[in-house]
Amino acid sequence: MNRNVPDWWLKGAPWLWRASLALVGVSLLTVAFRAPVEAVMGPVQKIFYIHMPSAIVTLLAFGITFAAGIAYLATKQWIWDALGAASCEVGLVFATVVMITGPLWARSAWNTWWTWEPRLTTFFILWILYAAYQVIRASIRSNSKRTISAIMGVVFFVNLPIVWKSVEWWRGSLHPRSATMTGEMRQVLLLSMLAWIVFFVAVLQHRLRLEWAREAAARDAAARDADPSAFQPGTPEARRA
Amino acid sequence: MTFLTVARKDLLLYVRDARFLATLGLFSAALVLILSVAFGPIFRDPAREAAATIWAALFFTGVLGLSRSQGLEGESGGSEALRLTGADPFALYLGKTLANVVLLSAVFLLLLPLTAVFFDVGSLKALPALLCVVGLALVGYSAWGTLFATLARGLQARELLLSVLLFPSLVPLWIGAVKLTHALWDGGTIEPVRDWIKVMAVMDVLGLALAAWLSESIQEAAE
Repeated sequence: MNRNVPDWWLKGAPWLWRASLALVGVSLLTVAFRAPVEAVMGPVQKIFYIHMPSAIVTLLAFGITFAAGIAYLATKQWIWDALGAASCEVGLVFATVVMITGPLWARSAWNTWWTWEPRLTTFFILWILYAAYQVIRASIRSNSKRTISAIMGVVFFVNLPIVWKSVEWWRGSLHPRSATMTGEMRQVLLLSMLAWIVFFVAVLQHRLRLEWAREAAARDAAARDADPSAFQPGTPEARRA
Repeated sequence: MTFLTVARKDLLLYVRDARFLATLGLFSAALVLILSVAFGPIFRDPAREAAATIWAALFFTGVLGLSRSQGLEGESGGSEALRLTGADPFALYLGKTLANVVLLSAVFLLLLPLTAVFFDVGSLKALPALLCVVGLALVGYSAWGTLFATLARGLQARELLLSVLLFPSLVPLWIGAVKLTHALWDGGTIEPVRDWIKVMAVMDVLGLALAAWLSESIQEAAE
């Protein structure tokens, strides 16, 4: 492996960060000043413009962890493990945003912070499982860390369709089945989705670079242990190790 | 080596370990006692509370069984010996799953009269349908539980990690088992909760299918 990520990645990353921050800024401003105030719930409804895009990004992130898990099990290449772990970590942050903004919205819409209805319950289970992924991955010191992480990424993904379909499968769900918006509300929602997805990609690539550096350091350490006298960081010996 | 041989081996080891069986029985009985005291002495809805109690006790006790079934392989190079037989990883998994189903069924048969007496619920008429629900729930529990237990075998604090992985994953199965048992013990029809049979069947098939797909990788990770 190269010690550093490819040049195109290094050059493109700052542009991606700028674009994502600009998009997030514009989307927040549009939510605040452009999106119409909803007639029944009032300004509290605007939480929705953060809540729903975060939920979509969560599903996307855990979907990437699932795909990367399959790819790792098939190829045993470290990059797939790194991608799965990075995506899971960032996805968990977005899932936490969903868990925080949901009750804020529910308090106004349903007059309660939390209710054990299907979508909330299944999403909470999802959050616990992917939090457990982080704890378990961090606690493994053996060589099986990558395989176990990949298996968890694949197995936990089973819960995503359950979360998605829960409002249809279980009777008595309070959660809206879909967001039917028109006009300016729809435009603001689409912009918010785009902004948070681009922001997710920016954070993901940054987190992946950290994994890349960690892998390079681990290989340096292995090369040093193998032959301390011949080793210099970044030398061909290290790369070949 | 077929999965039946693996199941027989595990069950023989359970039967020979009287201390483990006694611990399992006492722990599950204590759970039923504690929960019946917590809900009682006057029960608002005995059928619902009894259903919740028996399944909570069974699921918690199951972790001891799952952990023990993997612990057996850690002793005296058991996992090494199994690998040397050249057995298919999925056959090993199926054997362990079957042994866990049998073990948990025995625990259920112990808890059933206890729960019936403490909560004054149940009838012989509902027993055949209840045994079908138990079968569905225990196959799913053991399928997912054995999968996670094998995964957690080589890890530190595996019992804790097993619980963290297992209980959230099994929530649909647990809700289904409680709702169906409640309907049966309540003397009414199971029609309003019939959909849960499908949910539980899907969970069973999903657990076994995932294990069939990933059994080699899981075995490799556990070594």
